[in-house]
Amino acid sequence: MGPGVPALEGARPHERVLRRDRASQPRLGAEAAGGSVSPTQLHPLWNALREVRDPELPVSVVDLGLIYAIRRDGARVEVDLTFTATGCPCMAFIREDVRGRLLREPGVHEVVIHEVWDPPWTRERMTEEGRRVLRSYGIAA
Amino acid sequence: MPAPAPTIELSPAARTATRDLILVLADSKRLLGMRYAEWILGAPELEASIACAAMAQDEWGHARLLYALLKDLGDDVDRLEHGREPAEYCSLEALDLPPQDWPDLVVLNALADAALTTQCEALLGSAYAPLAQRVEKLLEEERFHAAHGAAWLRRLARAGESARGTLALPLTAALPALLRWLGPDSPRAAALREAGVVNATGSALRARYLERIAPLLAELGDAAPPRAPAAPDFAGFDEARRRVSTHGPDAATVARIRGDKNRVFLMD
Repeated sequence: MGPGVPALEGARPHERVLRRDRASQPRLGAEAAGGSVSPTQLHPLWNALREVRDPELPVSVVDLGLIYAIRRDGARVEVDLTFTATGCPCMAFIREDVRGRLLREPGVHEVVIHEVWDPPWTRERMTEEGRRVLRSYGIAA
Repeated sequence: MPAPAPTIELSPAARTATRDLILVLADSKRLLGMRYAEWILGAPELEASIACAAMAQDEWGHARLLYALLKDLGDDVDRLEHGREPAEYCSLEALDLPPQDWPDLVVLNALADAALTTQCEALLGSAYAPLAQRVEKLLEEERFHAAHGAAWLRRLARAGESARGTLALPLTAALPALLRWLGPDSPRAAALREAGVVNATGSALRARYLERIAPLLAELGDAAPPRAPAAPDFAGFDEARRRVSTHGPDAATVARIRGDKNRVFLMD
């Protein structure tokens, strides 16, 4: 880490005003910041990210629970993304994989990724499917 | 579960103090990560070596998050990370020199890391939202560091007189400076507390810290450091950098931390 890795994004304007309800889980149609989008329009985006695997584990970033929200405003998509650890060595890979996959969706021309740490990621944030896959590989989940 | 942090506009004084505090924590964590890393292949057991690798990774992760916050406060983050001389660092004085032996490292792990964590805990629910939104994750990762430091300190304390004796010197050297590092009860500290950026400063932080490490010190027997003075000597203490010494860490370590040999590989 450190040298050789691009600087992280600092706090974002929306972080100054938003403290997510800690009990909230990512869900279809998470609150749209910049317009009204129906859950059915977001659904393909969540499904697209189910194809993005964590570089170290045989699980998608969705099933690992790293995606906290997806918002769409026309051709622009915003993603709230967290990581399992602050010293995650794969941050840049995951960010680029998420961006690259969403840009392949019809009508998506811009992807903005917000790095969020609140609430902190824990194993409880994995989906049942994520747990099942990890257990099948002999990883405690 | 802390209540949602209110959003506040910091006064210029509180803003400066917030910026300095973030830099103190970021620099200290970057140094501490390097000190842990120096023992990745030198610890007495493979498990301890792996623990040092994990703790180094955590500390550098925390430092990376903290440096990134300074962009909002007007800093040139690239210069902070890659362009400063040792004397410009604001890291814990206890980290200025590489640990000479394993007991030295254990004291850093058990006491210096605990001082940083005590300061971080005072940021829970901070009115400065970017800190509030990151500190829980940091503290969660620190739990293992505390357990590791405590386990090794106890192990050395119980391993007989000679092992216990190796702790006396580093403990006696480290503790007064760590207590001083938590800072004076100054107007500057009060401004930070009144703005809601931190929930404790100075003496209150020292009390929390002593409570945290009391069980460890109780086990040390004749290796226990002399009772810490109730009030540290703040003569010559630079409150912004939290240091008395005007030198910084050793030059070789700073060169590695800056990544002097890696600049050509830095990518945008």
